[in-house]
Amino acid sequence: MNLNQLSPRAEMEDLYLPVMAEIKETRRLTDLETLYTVELPDGRDLGHRPGQFVEVSMFGIGEAPFSISSSPTRKGVFELGIRKVGLLTEKLAELEAGTKIGIRGPFGNGIDVEKFQGKDVLIVAGGIGLVPMRSMINHVRDRRDDFGRLIICYGSRSDRELLFTEELEEWEREKRTEYHVTVDQGSPAWKGNTGVITTLIPGLDLDLPNTVCCICGPPVMYRFVLLALKSRGLADRNIYMSLERRMKCGVGKCGHCQINGSYVCQDGPVYHYPDIKTLQEAL
Amino acid sequence: MVQFFLESDRVAEFVTHLMKRKPVYAPHRKGRKSYSFERTRDAAGVVLDYPRVMQSVKKFFLPPREQLLSFDLGDNTCRAGEVEPLDAIFLGVHSYDLAAVGRLDHNFSEGRAERNYLTRRQGALWVGVSYEPDEYHFAGSVGIDPYDTEGFDIFLTRLLDGYVLEVLTPAGESLLEGFDLPAHEAGKPAKKHFQQHIYVPQDRLNEVMSASYNNPVWEETALGCVGCGTCNLVCPTCYCFNVEENVDITVTKGSRDRHWDGCMLREFSEVAGGEVFRETLAARQRHRVMRKFKYISEKTGQPWCVGCGRCTAYCTAGISIVNIVNRCISDYEKSTVSAIR
Repeated sequence: MNLNQLSPRAEMEDLYLPVMAEIKETRRLTDLETLYTVELPDGRDLGHRPGQFVEVSMFGIGEAPFSISSSPTRKGVFELGIRKVGLLTEKLAELEAGTKIGIRGPFGNGIDVEKFQGKDVLIVAGGIGLVPMRSMINHVRDRRDDFGRLIICYGSRSDRELLFTEELEEWEREKRTEYHVTVDQGSPAWKGNTGVITTLIPGLDLDLPNTVCCICGPPVMYRFVLLALKSRGLADRNIYMSLERRMKCGVGKCGHCQINGSYVCQDGPVYHYPDIKTLQEAL
Repeated sequence: MVQFFLESDRVAEFVTHLMKRKPVYAPHRKGRKSYSFERTRDAAGVVLDYPRVMQSVKKFFLPPREQLLSFDLGDNTCRAGEVEPLDAIFLGVHSYDLAAVGRLDHNFSEGRAERNYLTRRQGALWVGVSYEPDEYHFAGSVGIDPYDTEGFDIFLTRLLDGYVLEVLTPAGESLLEGFDLPAHEAGKPAKKHFQQHIYVPQDRLNEVMSASYNNPVWEETALGCVGCGTCNLVCPTCYCFNVEENVDITVTKGSRDRHWDGCMLREFSEVAGGEVFRETLAARQRHRVMRKFKYISEKTGQPWCVGCGRCTAYCTAGISIVNIVNRCISDYEKSTVSAIR
């Protein structure tokens, strides 16, 4: 059997070989999360879209997918916000600036920002879901006149677990950013909203036909946020969500990230809600 | 097309001839009832009349375990694993197993082409052989006849006292150079009958399976299933893999390796933090069967099952994929009939 009959002989790049990128800076966000500033060889641009991910690896430890947290508008370096949950992330947390890590990607579709232009952008982020959403938030802030309002709803388990606290304060102060935050359980010092993220949605002032929403958070959050948005009357076609799966290869070969027939690393991780609402394993 | 006749007692001579041209991989007897595709060292060990090999020829192009890259922990560098084309003759391959290789070719060349698999696939030559369908084969139901010569360079159709040898490609012709055979004038034997059938034509399977997501058959199948993943392991079209790091005993060097994985295993869909997206055996059985008859076929236009019967023959719990699909069909037919009424 002749392979050339089956497909044009594609260029044989090495899909699994990472480039070695340097950690320029690490910043502790909380006890569990660290923000890594990473630079590709020769300061090359990563060339990503908000919502895309890279595969990060340490030799002898492993490789895993992580969302890119910085906006493509900020060139030269990119950022990854990573929570300690397993072997690789524990080891990453021990790394210091100057160390090199393996990077493959960017992978996935990311957010089609063109489609969002001129619209009011509503971001609903729960917990570590803020990490990928921050890429979109800062994209909108840096291209402020391309978009309508920027409305951010952020929910966290407690005020001690809030990420990017300095930036949150900036968003709070900014005139053109409408920032809402709630924590499930506040410390005695917490003066803000208390309650799950859905409690922020009824009070939002939304121009429904002109609003597009991006949701990212823990699996349990999506159904409740969707219910709350629907009861506000936001149309399904205006909702996008970023989903998490285990992506070993990132290039549609290993099969791990399938939701029914869809490969999250190819068709996602950002899905248009109408496309996945009948996929029963999506959430 | 040229047809010759190869007498049974000249098969070993034929194998020896092929071995002089290139390395030969062929079925060999492994146990009382099992066969395995191996590099042929002794022509007399080749068995052309066999029901199925437990592992298809997939194992040569997508090895159960392979190195993706090697790394040096001292200077934190890596390089790609070395992959060589398999310049060899695959002899005694059944039509469904070559069809399965075609499915894998699609997976590894579509989108971003994969060097490891496609490099190995270059240069393989195929000598097929017909087979007698046993109680597990149902390749006819997915459009693959036991005499299907598609993709082969040479094909052997078994008769009582030998084989009709068809030369199908110039490569096949050159393989035969220097080996004299009498021409075969008569036709080929009548079509083989399968004992197992899927009861709708393959072009209707998408429609049936699309209506079967909530069929009770998944829960019922799960009652017997032990989630061992054997069905994935023996499937010639399953290509999912996992990746792991292996460090050598000096702790200075190591490799990033991939190995076959299976969607019937619980860990397959687990993400960081422990969430498992197909927690139940029912969900995993549904995923496995839907992959074969709906999810991938919707994209590629052909079933991702080649009817070899391995997942049923080797299932530790006696689960039959044909029975599952036929149950979906009968429930679907009942529901459409009652809708008409």
